[in-house]
Amino acid sequence: METAFELAPAIVLLPLAAFVVALLFGNYMPKKGALAGIVATAGSLLLSLYVMAAVATGGQHQETYFTWAAGDAVSETGVPTIEFTFGTLLDPLSALMLVIVSLIAFLVHVFSLGYMNDEGETGLPRYYAELGLFTFSMLAFVIADNLLMAFMFFELVGLCSYLLIGFWFRTESAPSAAKKAFLVTRFGDYFFLLGVVAIGATFGTLAFQGDGSFVAAAGEAIDNGETLFGFGAETWVTITGLLVLGGVIGKSAQFPLHTWLPDAMEGPTTVSALIHAATMVAAGVYLVARMFGYYALSPTALGIIAFVGGFTALFAATMGVVKDDIKQVLAYSTISQYGYMMLGLGVGGYVAGVFHLMNHAFFKALLFLGAGAVIVLMHHEQDMWKMGGLKDKAPIVYYTFLAGALALAGIVPFSGFWSKDEILFDAIIVGLNEPIFLAAYAMGLLAVFFTGFYTFRMVFLTFHGEPRSDAARDPHPVSWNIKFPLLTLGVLALVAGIANLAPVYKLTGLEITYLEFWLDGQYGGYADLTYSAYGDTVPFGTDYIGSETITLLIAAGLGLGLAVGGAVFAMVLYNVPEPEPHTENLGSARTVLRSNYYQDEYQVWLAENLTLPLARAADRFDQTVIDGVVNGVSSVSLFGSGRMKRLQTGVVTNYAALLIVGFIVLLVVLGVLGGWFV
Amino acid sequence: MMIETILAVTFAGALLTFLAPNRIAGKLAFAISLIPAGLSLWLFTAFDGSGNALLEGGELAFENRTTWIELGAYEISWYVGVDGISLPLVVLTTILTTLAIMSSWTPIDIRESQFYGLVLFIEANLIGVFVALDFFMWFIFWEAVLIPMYLLIGVWGGPRRKYAAIKFFIYTNVASLVMFAAFIALVFSLDVSSFGLPEVTQAMLNGGPDAFAGVAGSTVASLVFIAMFLGFAVKVPVVPFHTWLPDAHVEAPTPASVLLAGVLLKMGTYALLRFNFTMFPDQVETYAIPIAVIAVISVIYGAMLALAQTDLKRIVAYSSVSSMGYVILGLIAYTHFGVGGATFQMVSHGLISGLMFMAVGVIYNATHTRMVTDMSGMADKMPIAVGILIAGAFGYMGLPLMSGFAAEYFIFFGAFGSEVLSYAPVFTALAMFGIVIVAGYLLFAMQRTLFGPYRLETDYEVGRAPLHDIAPMFVLLGLIIALGVAPELIFDMILDAVDPILEFGGEA
Repeated sequence: METAFELAPAIVLLPLAAFVVALLFGNYMPKKGALAGIVATAGSLLLSLYVMAAVATGGQHQETYFTWAAGDAVSETGVPTIEFTFGTLLDPLSALMLVIVSLIAFLVHVFSLGYMNDEGETGLPRYYAELGLFTFSMLAFVIADNLLMAFMFFELVGLCSYLLIGFWFRTESAPSAAKKAFLVTRFGDYFFLLGVVAIGATFGTLAFQGDGSFVAAAGEAIDNGETLFGFGAETWVTITGLLVLGGVIGKSAQFPLHTWLPDAMEGPTTVSALIHAATMVAAGVYLVARMFGYYALSPTALGIIAFVGGFTALFAATMGVVKDDIKQVLAYSTISQYGYMMLGLGVGGYVAGVFHLMNHAFFKALLFLGAGAVIVLMHHEQDMWKMGGLKDKAPIVYYTFLAGALALAGIVPFSGFWSKDEILFDAIIVGLNEPIFLAAYAMGLLAVFFTGFYTFRMVFLTFHGEPRSDAARDPHPVSWNIKFPLLTLGVLALVAGIANLAPVYKLTGLEITYLEFWLDGQYGGYADLTYSAYGDTVPFGTDYIGSETITLLIAAGLGLGLAVGGAVFAMVLYNVPEPEPHTENLGSARTVLRSNYYQDEYQVWLAENLTLPLARAADRFDQTVIDGVVNGVSSVSLFGSGRMKRLQTGVVTNYAALLIVGFIVLLVVLGVLGGWFV
Repeated sequence: MMIETILAVTFAGALLTFLAPNRIAGKLAFAISLIPAGLSLWLFTAFDGSGNALLEGGELAFENRTTWIELGAYEISWYVGVDGISLPLVVLTTILTTLAIMSSWTPIDIRESQFYGLVLFIEANLIGVFVALDFFMWFIFWEAVLIPMYLLIGVWGGPRRKYAAIKFFIYTNVASLVMFAAFIALVFSLDVSSFGLPEVTQAMLNGGPDAFAGVAGSTVASLVFIAMFLGFAVKVPVVPFHTWLPDAHVEAPTPASVLLAGVLLKMGTYALLRFNFTMFPDQVETYAIPIAVIAVISVIYGAMLALAQTDLKRIVAYSSVSSMGYVILGLIAYTHFGVGGATFQMVSHGLISGLMFMAVGVIYNATHTRMVTDMSGMADKMPIAVGILIAGAFGYMGLPLMSGFAAEYFIFFGAFGSEVLSYAPVFTALAMFGIVIVAGYLLFAMQRTLFGPYRLETDYEVGRAPLHDIAPMFVLLGLIIALGVAPELIFDMILDAVDPILEFGGEA
């Protein structure tokens, strides 16, 4: 067990080594650095599984490797010094996430062999190097045992997505999308960093776990009724928690900072798979789970998380309905699905949120890689209206994609059903006790219908009907390194739900709730980071309609019914040989949806029509007023000295006259001061 | 005697380079500059000092004091030594000079021996500023830096070099005069018999000034504090005394910009720390809010100005104003992490701005333009130089694991919990917004110039940059990452020297 934990840093460092190797030697290697990445991520995956096994057999581990900085700092709660360190925290949550991230990263590397290498791409060493750095940053973020380390790698994840979204830098659109992604998430990270600073200055510690953690210190401060920075302790926890949440909203593409994510489709599809499933976007929600004990202290913060999540889930799902580009549909589905996770966490459903994070990682990676396979089949065409009929030409791609779609739509028994159902169940029972949450629940529930609709609209347009272009009639074949990741993920999308069949347990008593046990530390883990510990803190009560079983059946029935309803509606409209767009039936709503509710417009307006003119005005002010004064001073002294020099006439009698006048004035002054005339 | 050796070698090297033929001057100056660089690194490894050079309770490293002039009741001495604040700046100076010399080989093609001689002369005086502990001696070095920089801008500069050089010289010189007069008034009102900075500091802390010229002692202290702050503020520079900086930078040749942004600006913040923030803890507390306002305005206003620029060099120049605002914020926080972070930022910004000016210079060498609108897609033609520029830009944005993040984080953390500054969290939050604006202007500039399809409006064939242009940037990048990953390399010694300052004033 100890060996696994001692080897844990290697999980993080292997992809870093791959980064260095691919960057320096990629050009001289077969496959241009891909093999280094594959070997490294495979190593990370194996070691992650080893760590998971160690946790499963009753282990947990926290170790500080390195002090980044330390010094005196009187914190608000009186701790006299602070240490900023790099360390690892291995518990059920991080072990699970390590496996998810390294698995997806490994499959994306394998898939890239078929997707990038076969297409005569230049710049492959750069691609694999950045992929390695991306994996490294995310794994280091996951393994972090304190908030500052988490922030640091959170930012590096942002850098890597900037580099990878802008991978095709010779185009106009990719660098623009990359810039937008970094800038929008940076705006969120501003709040995150402020939160990190505030939490550090308040509690004198940034550790996630243990008696010395900021979570424990915050709980103590609330219990003691302390005043922190002029606020009540609970208010201050809410404020700082929401500041950190700013970073989460940016990275996890929640409203209103979601606008970067659809543009990020400019990157290679493999990168999209990684960003959406396991790295960048997942980082935000993972952070909420990681410091869930802190959020659990504040009902306000939890409520805001739930509402941001519920709203985003619905809001993004409606936009997904009218998109023509297969990757755009998936992009909006990602925003929407992370909304669900936020909703789940916000109502205190820690297990449900993490469960959906896991399932989503599998099925969204599957769908993106599937879309990548479709794009290969289609000779780099992404418009679904030019596809059609690919079902028979590429059965493996079709059936794996279908598995992902069923999971995304939440159709039983695919994985997405179980986790989404659990989130909605947690939301409704809290809502029955605190009615305001029913609104968040309703938004999440309504989004289920839209999800079913856009998912199957995508499936039918892409794979069913008659081919609608030459490319679709004669698809490019796909190789094994594309099919292997699809099959792996397809199986996971089907069976991953078994990890936590909560409804089955509640109906039959069969304890198929491994994930709940896992996150509750029943196999191994820290007592303060368990589901039941969080459950004790979460300030919400629950109620049922009739009994738990009836509520469960109602919630599941509603969810499944709406999902199937959406799917069937899509089938009716689009599962025909010659499908019509039908979007004009939406009337003016279509324009609003296709313009994404004008979210981009106002953000671009803020940047280009407000900030930039303001900067230019500041520049004009600087050039004219401030520098004008500086130059004015020199002009005045030049002018003054110009006048002064006229005294020097060169005429001796003038000088003599001045001399005498001066002498007389001096005498008079001295005389007055000296009292000669009194 | 090691410090004297470094100074002597550098001055002698400057003279030697002056006399050398133009064709070998660059290589010769580089070889000579390796000596102070090597020796200062030796100082760094052999450093055994502790505490603050001006305050009691520590041990000054490489100390040497000899009486120089007896001036009436006052003694002026040759007095050198380093502590944890000055040593990192000495090392920064020597390393940056060596790299700047190498980066001059391409762009400097007239009067080489004079150019490199002046660069070495600046280096010697800069070292002198950081090691001198007697006011007179310090002031001589301080003023002597101006002349060679004036010449570097005025002779080797761009089209408006004369205006920029004169503006730089007069502006900073007038500021020095204000500061000098104020300090002399302070010394006369104190009960000291020496211009040694430690003596003056201790006299200030043990009682402060007597009435002077009919003005009460506490008023003298406040007036001197304000006058010295203004004097140094020009050098830093803080808004609204910053307008000489963009002009000087734009006209200066690349290596002069590297030294100007890298080290000369730090003279201002170093002096602020040594004089205002060490000798006047009471005044720091009194004037905390106005100074914090200046800091926040410098950060935000400087960043907004950078956003409006289309000349790459002006962008970097204005962003220096913004970065120096962070230093002021850290100082006024008056906490260990605030003041320590400010000192760390002096070193870090020296490295990062040096790297940025070099990278912009390399692009200018190839394209003969710095205008954002004149080019796009440079990444295609100069992949390595552009890669380093991107790395430097992210360093400037405060990317974690690079030194800029460490510096800014220390400052923000130190400022947030400040006890001297009221509303410290509000000031911190406002100043921190600079990290969003800096990302905005650098990302916009990079998108327009480095990415997209290749396009260049000038008639130059762009080739890859030679190794001696690239190598110095790699060294800087390595240092930036090293300090970002392990800030303790210098932060420990900085904190050790900062601690005594706060024992008398700040958090105690």
